[in-house]
Formats: sequence, C-alpha cells, structure tokens
Amino acid sequence: MRTDRIGGSPNRVGGIGRVTGSQQYVADIRLQDVLEVKLVTLDCARARIISIDTSAAELVPGVRLVMTAAHLPQPVPRFGPQFSDRPIIAVGETKYHGEPVAAVAAETRDAAEEAARLVRVEYEELPAVFTIAAALDPASPLVQDPSLRAGDPLAGTNVLREHRFGWGDVEVAASSADLVVENAYTFPMVTHFAIEPHAFMAAPDGDGIAIWSSIQHPNWLQKIISQILGLPLAKVRVFAPDPGGGFGGKQHTKLEPLVAFMALRTGRPVRLILTLEETFQAVRRTSAEVRVRTGFMSDGTLAFQDVQANYLIGAYADIADRVVSKGSYPAAGPYRVPAVRIVSRSVLSHTTPATAFRGFGNPQVNWAVESNMDEGARALAIDRLEIRLRNLARKGEAFIPVDTPADGDWEQTVRRAAELIGWGTPLQPGRGRGLALGIKSGPTTGLSYATVRLLADGSVIVYAGTSDMGQGARTVFAQIAATELGAPLDWITVVMGDTAVVPYDQQTSASRSTVLMGNAILRACQSIQAQLRTMAARLHGLDEADIVVEGGAVRLPDRELPIIDVLKPGLGRLGGELVGNGEMRKEAEPGHPLGGSAAFYEFNCTAVEAEVDEETGDVTLVRHVTVSDVGKALNPLQVTMQDEGAAIMGLGHTLMEHYIYDERGRIRNLGAIDYRIPTSMDLPLEMLSAMVENADGPGPYGSKGMSEGALLCVAPAVAAAVRDATGVAIRDLPLTPERVWRALRDRSTP
Amino acid sequence: MHTFAYARPATLAEAVALLEAHGPAARLLAGGTDLVIRLRDGTARPAVVIDVKQIAELRPAIREENGRLVISAGTVMTDVASDDRVRRSFPALAEAAAVVGSVQIRNRATLVGNVCNASPAADTAPPLLVSGATVVAEGPGGTRRIPVDGFFVRSGVTTLARGELVTAIELPLPARKLGAVHMRRTRRRGHDLASVTLCCAVDEAGVTRLAYGSVGPRPILMIDESGVLADPAGSDEAKAPIFERMFADASPSPRSMRASPEYRLAMLRVLGARALRTAIDRLARG
Amino acid sequence: MSEMLQTVPIELTVNGRRRALNVAVHHTLLDVLRDDLELTGTKECCLVGECGACTVSLDGRIVDSCLVLAVEADRAQVTTVEGLAVDGHVSPLQQAFLDKGAVQCGFCIPGQLVAAHALLAERPHPTVPEIQEGLAGNLCRCACYQQIISAVLATAEGTAR
Repeated sequence: MRTDRIGGSPNRVGGIGRVTGSQQYVADIRLQDVLEVKLVTLDCARARIISIDTSAAELVPGVRLVMTAAHLPQPVPRFGPQFSDRPIIAVGETKYHGEPVAAVAAETRDAAEEAARLVRVEYEELPAVFTIAAALDPASPLVQDPSLRAGDPLAGTNVLREHRFGWGDVEVAASSADLVVENAYTFPMVTHFAIEPHAFMAAPDGDGIAIWSSIQHPNWLQKIISQILGLPLAKVRVFAPDPGGGFGGKQHTKLEPLVAFMALRTGRPVRLILTLEETFQAVRRTSAEVRVRTGFMSDGTLAFQDVQANYLIGAYADIADRVVSKGSYPAAGPYRVPAVRIVSRSVLSHTTPATAFRGFGNPQVNWAVESNMDEGARALAIDRLEIRLRNLARKGEAFIPVDTPADGDWEQTVRRAAELIGWGTPLQPGRGRGLALGIKSGPTTGLSYATVRLLADGSVIVYAGTSDMGQGARTVFAQIAATELGAPLDWITVVMGDTAVVPYDQQTSASRSTVLMGNAILRACQSIQAQLRTMAARLHGLDEADIVVEGGAVRLPDRELPIIDVLKPGLGRLGGELVGNGEMRKEAEPGHPLGGSAAFYEFNCTAVEAEVDEETGDVTLVRHVTVSDVGKALNPLQVTMQDEGAAIMGLGHTLMEHYIYDERGRIRNLGAIDYRIPTSMDLPLEMLSAMVENADGPGPYGSKGMSEGALLCVAPAVAAAVRDATGVAIRDLPLTPERVWRALRDRSTP
Repeated sequence: MHTFAYARPATLAEAVALLEAHGPAARLLAGGTDLVIRLRDGTARPAVVIDVKQIAELRPAIREENGRLVISAGTVMTDVASDDRVRRSFPALAEAAAVVGSVQIRNRATLVGNVCNASPAADTAPPLLVSGATVVAEGPGGTRRIPVDGFFVRSGVTTLARGELVTAIELPLPARKLGAVHMRRTRRRGHDLASVTLCCAVDEAGVTRLAYGSVGPRPILMIDESGVLADPAGSDEAKAPIFERMFADASPSPRSMRASPEYRLAMLRVLGARALRTAIDRLARG
Repeated sequence: MSEMLQTVPIELTVNGRRRALNVAVHHTLLDVLRDDLELTGTKECCLVGECGACTVSLDGRIVDSCLVLAVEADRAQVTTVEGLAVDGHVSPLQQAFLDKGAVQCGFCIPGQLVAAHALLAERPHPTVPEIQEGLAGNLCRCACYQQIISAVLATAEGTAR
C-alpha cells in the first residue's frame, strides 16, 4: 500500500517547516512599520474604573496611541459567539483579573511596556464572586449587568442559563431501584497552556482591514470583525496561520477587535503577542461541581441517572454556555438508562472567561458519572468491567432517545482496553486498576466548503478553511486528494488560513474536520472525477457510464489509464485545470435539545494500573491504556499521536493542574513556574493505545472524528485505580500527592 | 524588561569596587536563571547589573586544595553534578545539583548563585550544610570564610556585607567514611521547586547530619551524635524522638501554594526516615 | 569592561555565521535572535525558563535563551533550530521526528530538536529515562512525548532514515 494514500502514515504535510523552524506562526510574521501593543490591566478582579490618565504614557518616546474605551464607538461594541456580552475593552468596570482597561501601541515593545506601566488608572475594587457557592448566593453581586440580558428571567441571578435534559421518570425509577449511589464531585479550573501564546495583528488593507490571528475559526472571526466595523465580509481579510496548539482555547474572537480599532486609529499595522500569563487570564476550562445520583438494580442494570452539574464559567460567556449544555447532555454515558434527569447550569463569576477546551464540558460530568459507576459496582459486588458491559448500548441502539443511535460496536473497544490492561489478572500489592468509558457528541451542525484544483500536470491544490493546529488536518486532506486524484503527496498543496482565498468553513472544533471538511474535499474530488469521466468519454468515444475514475486512475472498459493521460489531452493545447467544489452541510434540527443530533460519537475506553505510595500520596501510573473507536484511521500514526497526546493532557487535570485563586480573584499560580503540566518525566511507565476500525463512521472511508476521546475519562480511570489500590475514593481533582495523602490519612484516623 | 546599566568587570577588585559603590542598587549576574526572571517581572529593579562571568578568579573550576574541594563561583550545576570528585566525596550534593531545574537551567545556574539567592527551597543548601561547607567571600576588607550554616538568613538575605561577593564554596573532604543522600518532594516528577528538600549523611563514627529546607525561612542543619539514628539495627521507636527534636524548628509558611504546612511537616518525617535508611545502606555498602 | 553601558556591541557566531550588532543590555538572546537576526525558529512562550521553547545551544550547551541576556552571548557560538539541517537536508534527528510522528502543532519542536541534538551529542545511546530527563525542560502540550522519545531512540540506533 502506498503510504501517501488513505490508511498510510506519511510524514506530516507541513512537517519540514516545523522541524526546520521555517514554519511561520503569527508572532513570526514581520509586517513593516508594525506597532507593538501592550495591555494595561488592574491588580484585582472586579473594579469600578474612576479615571484613566494616559498623559505620562503618551510622553514615552515611540508611543503612538494609548487606547481606552473612550476612543471607541459608543456604546462600546460587544461581541461573543453565543451572547454579545464582551466589550472590546473594559467599560466602566473590570470583571476579571487581567481584563484590559487600556492598550498602548508603540514603535517598540520596550516603549509599549514602559508606557503601559505609566498609564494611571484610578479605581475602586468591588466585591466579586469566584466560586459557585458565592455566585449562587442571592446576596452576591451580579457579574453581568441585567440590562444586557433583557427579557431573561435569570437576569437577576448569576446563572446564565439552566439546561434540562432527560427522559423517563427518575423519581419512579428511584422508588424501585435496588441501590442508589449519590456523590458530589468537583473538577478544577485548568488552562489550555498552548505553547504558542495567542497572537493578534491587524493592519489597514485598502478600504478594508486585514487581521492575523492564531485562531481556530477564521471565518467566525471575519464575521465578528465585519459586524463590529460595519464592513462587508469581503473587506475583512483574516489570515490564520497554523496555530501552535489550540485545544479549544483559540476558537473564538478575543482581542482581535481591539487590535483592529488600534490599527484603524493609527493607520499602521499593530500586533499584540500575549504572554503566557496573559493567556492564563484569557482562557480556561469550565470548572464544575457535579452531584450524581445513580440507581441500580441488584444485577447491576442501571435504573436511572440523576445529574446536577454546576459549571463555573467566567465573566463573559464566550462559548462556555454551549460547553455546559453540549457537555452535560450525554452525561448518562454510553449506557442504556431508562430514566435520566440532567440539570446543568452555567454560572457566571469574576474569573477568567471559560471557553471550549478539548472534551468540551464532557470530562467534568464524565468524571462524576463514571466514578459513581464504580461505586455502584463495588456496592453490588459486581466486576467494574462487567457492570459497564452489561449496560453498554449496542450498535444501533437509541441510547439517547431522539438522537443518533450508538454508531459503533463499542464493546470491542471496551474489551480491547480490558485485555491490554490485563483486567482480572493478579495485581502486585499496592497497585490497583481502574477503567472508564467516555463518550462525546460530535458536531451537531456544520458547514464546510472545499475547492480542489487539478492542475495541468496532475498536481493538486486543496483549499480548506480548517485550521491545522497540530491535529494533522493538512496531511489527512492531502491523503484524501492523493487517493482520489492519484497525485503523490508531495504534488499536493493544501491552502488554509486566508479568508480571501479559501472558501468558508464554519469552524475547527468538535473533532469535525476529518468528517465534515473531509467529506467536502471528497466531494470536490468526485466533481473532478466526474469531469474526467466526461473528458475520457469525449477522448475515447465512450459512454460516460462505462468509465470509472477511482484510486487515481481512469478505468475504461478495456484498460486503465493514469489520470494524467486523460487530463493532458482533455485539457488540450491551452492547458488549464479542472476545478471541483465540495460542500458538506449538517443542518440544524429544530426541536432537538442541542439544535442538532450528533454527527458521530467519540467513544473511548481508558484503563490504568496505578501504584500508590501511601506515605507520600504519590500516584505512579504503571500502565495507561487508551482505546478509541475511530471508524477508519485515515492516518494511523496521527490517530495514535492524537490519542496518546489527549491521554497525557488528561493526566494533567487528573494529577496536577489547577488554578489557585487568591481572595481578590487573582490567579496565584499565574505562569509556568507554579502551574504544572506534564513533562516527559510525568508519563505513565507504559502507555498503550489502540484503535477500533469498523469503517462505520460518516466521514470519508467510514472515518469518525477523533482526538478528544482519549482525554474524556482519564480522571475516573485513574481515581478508580487509586481507590482499587488503597480503598480510598477521592472525589476532587487533581489527585495531587497531598490530596491523596490527606485522603489516606483520613481513612486511617477515623 | 526594565533597563539598567550593565558592567562586566574583568577582575575581582573591579567587581568589589562596583558593589561597594552601588550597594543595594547593584545585582550580580552569574547564571541569570533567577535574576533575569526577576528583572523581567520587576521584582528586581537594580540600577546596575554586574556580570561576574569574565572575572578570571571566578571562572568555572572545581579543584582540590588543602583537603578541601573548592567550587568556584562560575561553576554551573551540570558540572557540579557530573564532577567525579563531587560524586565520590559529596554524592548528595551531586544528586541535589542534578535535580535543580531542567538541563537548560543546570547549564546556566551556578552553585554559588543558588546559595546566594538564599532560597529556603534551594536544593543544594541541605547537602552543603551537611558537608560543613564554607562560603568564601571577597570584599573591601579582603577575604572572609563564612560557614554555610551562618550564611543563610532568610529568602534573598545572607550575611554578606556590603561590597562582598562570593568567589567559591569550599567543602572539607570527609575524613571518615560516610553514606549520604539527597531527597525532595515535588508536585510532579519533572523539574519543580521542592516542597521539602532534605539531605542526610551518616558516618562511620555514628554521627548523623540532617539538613532540610523549604519548611521555614532558611534551611536548617541538625546533628545527632548519640549514634542512635545511625544504628542500622536501631528501632523506629528509639529514633522517633530524635527525629522529632531535629524537626522541631521546621515552620513552613501557610502562605505557600505549593504544599500546606501540614503536608510539608509530614513529608519531612517521611523523607527523613527514608533518607536515613538510604544513608545507612550506602555507608554499609561503602 | 567595567564601564557601565546600556547598549553594547557584541559579536557572536550563529549557526556558523559571524554576526556583529549592538544590543540593549536588557534584551535577551531570545529577543536578539528573533527580532534583530530574524531567526524566528526559536520560540517564545513562558519567559521563565520552564517551557524550553526558546532552547538554543550556547557554546555547546543548551540554555533557555529567554534567561540569557544578549550581551552574555558576546563571543559565543550559538546554534538554533535553523542551524540543524546539514547542506540543506534535514538531519537524521529531524527526519526521525517526522517519521515517528513527533510533531503536532510544532511550536515546541525547535526547542525539542536543539535539546535532543545536544542530548545525543553527549550520550549517543541514551536510555528512555535519560531521554525523558534530558528533554524534561521542553514542554509539549500536544504531549507528543512518546513519539519524541521514539524519534530520539531511532536516531540513536541509526534506524532513522
């Protein structure tokens, strides 16, 4: 098999630039005459801005602009993917630590930094809320001005939205259940920590504007800038070079509108490269408190799931409320459950705005529900693997009524993981095993366009609006084109990240691109194949129906020709090219609780064996197994990289990551010294990943989306292993040595 | 980063003169792994930065001299950790130097810099204390030798006088056979600041030296000459009260976010017991 | 030089090429590489010596260039990721990174490669724990650690292309 076709693992497209240092991320692009921007922030979370004195800052040589809300159109425009609540710069009040109140543009970074220090802001610190309990206390201040929430019955509270999902009657089920297990679990605030900090540039561009951003959704950004500036879409050009890691934290518009106004006001290109600390203040995952009541029959059959999930979102909604609804919706897991009640709330607070983060709200509830499954199994003395298999939805089963039925033979995945971890085999003393299942709904709506050009020499250019932030979309797209049009991989260019050139793509999120953009590219290739059939029919005097274009070749009734042998004579002396367009649309479904059913499910089983040092609380992962149902691995190496990477990222929030806030709402462990993420020394002693392929997905060649699955259920699997090793159940993350030590100590001192 | 004046003296005398002239407005730059962070975040705003790396007397060197191992101020952690003489005679110091930050940090950070920062969490402080190390300072009044136990005051503060800089650390080569080990607690296995750092050495005469840091404003040295701790056959019950006396001065800050005082104190005892066992084993194995 | 200066002329050799320039004393080697010499392969992230994205080799030893003042690199030999390819061809290690799937978003990769080159120069046949320790100063949030380790092993074993 050729490695550049589907199912092979060729070198990453764009890989050479990444290993030689020539790959240009936003911060590497040097625009002529660019001004450097530095933000001015206050040393507390919530404050009333009394006055801003920019005079000293303006005297710093090289300073060209000190921008405040006063320089902006009034009322200051607000934006957001779900609610238009975030102002371009703080207006009257800051709502979280790090919210910019002013921004300096200067000829050099030094001048901008010095001037930013000299901006004098007089302010009055105001009471604020940083926890779910404080936010829900009726006596607490409101995070959002109720006038922004006209007609919203919850406008007088800090609950942005409450979502209710479910089926069956939980109370009836509870009255007949043999066992009810109820527990509360917490999930910490963690941050994306992409190694590339967010970077933004803007420059006047004729009668429009050009924006450069490390963003995952360039088209969405284009729309927001167009609305804010009152420019037609065609006059807003967004360049989105491949991001240096996104993980959801670069999905939505953040500071691009600010730099756009600064560019227009100065008439110069401006750029703002965030520090890592500023990214901590810009993006994080929603933390959560989840209370789960699970009902079982004595044979382990699930009777009901009753889930109450409060997610703490930040001061502005960003996409966090969608995270809450979409993340909590499949809370009952991949199981057959007769009665389910899910109540989830997005709770506003004066903290870093929460946003999408790999797993999109699912890991928080999965942590709780899967941990409760273990509790039930133990109480019923049923094997923890067995209880899951007993309840697991079979392929085709509508485990969530009125949604996409189970789209995989999930038992295969679970059994493979159990086999790889050696489930049921004897354990060394001090060790334990845990296993958990994770499920996540894929995209519920989507729209991707692709253009493919087959050039006169048989080489190919693919235009796709996906952002390749590490997942390897360029490679997979090129493999699709190689497979369909016969060109070798190094004859294929994939163009992305320029809204003036590349057709519309809704977004790069929810592990959608292989399925949605992949199908659009496949269709564009099929359109070219149809044109080749027409050409071949004309050239050879055949009926089109007798010609097949497949696998990079044109098959005539009596022989097979390489595509180039049809293309060249077909195009004739003037040459030219064939152009194919493809569209993949997943329409909204009115009445569906999420606005649309899942395009596919990401399904994963994670199993770990852990050793606990009872004196110190250290948890050592002896083996970590992660198995995902991917439908079809278009590029098996990339599947492995995504799954193992997601698994290790999951170990971060499981074992060490969390923001620590002080009493004024400032992140105490702001930056890389005290916010710890896994290093190469923090890996499990052994990591095994595997994939299940039954070609039963909706994407090209039977593929499904993947890359979030392996993160979903890391925490419950590890905690279950710790419990298995020690007998102690821990319901708060991360499982730091100190937390484990405390739990063990409390166990031994009743 | 705030700007400053930069000086790169070629001789010790020039450096001392600069230090004397500028006093607290001057900061010494050796490896820079701590200072440059502080220059950038504004917690250090010196008017003058004095780079000591061109001073001939401070050039990286580890040499034996009159029964002492002398480690010059320019010597980086990587070289301390890999030096055969250090590994042979002061294995716990080599172990501690090998866990300070990442390779990148150890290639820049100097042992003397680590000592001069006087961080209570400095990993090299406990082995230096246990080894009876001496800090060699050069100043307007000439050369002064300060026992390392009399050097640390609290974080960032030492007993150096105005105009003094440290030129070397001297470690007396052990006269007796000993077993020693360095241990620490961190939040992850990858490089991290220690929430407890500890060194234990047991010698053939039955003396146990225990030094620990990150559990109070300065690292602490305790010595047990009773022979009880060093006794390989001694019971935990017999050792416990001695350990308790040794740890009595630990007073971890409740303000730290890296670990609670409770956990640090508990881990001090766990590490103390483990380190003692390892030290005794190492002594026995020679 | 004990006179006190705010800008200093320095001379250094970067990837084999001699460069002479005036640097502000408070600018780091990272600033100068990226802004003055336009060698943007070396990346900026944490600026506290924790992430390793700015790793370069300075006189044969890897350092976090965010913690080295440019003036400290006066007369030094510096190698950045741009200096790893040989005669316009990627090195065996760079190729192994591609073959083993060690590159996702790529932002940490220049630092990883410089660190791994130095590791292999010092220990041509490292064990897995030695690789993990040697590269622990280079964070990869895509967490491609397994693949990075494989790539270093393959290079050491000479099984890389």
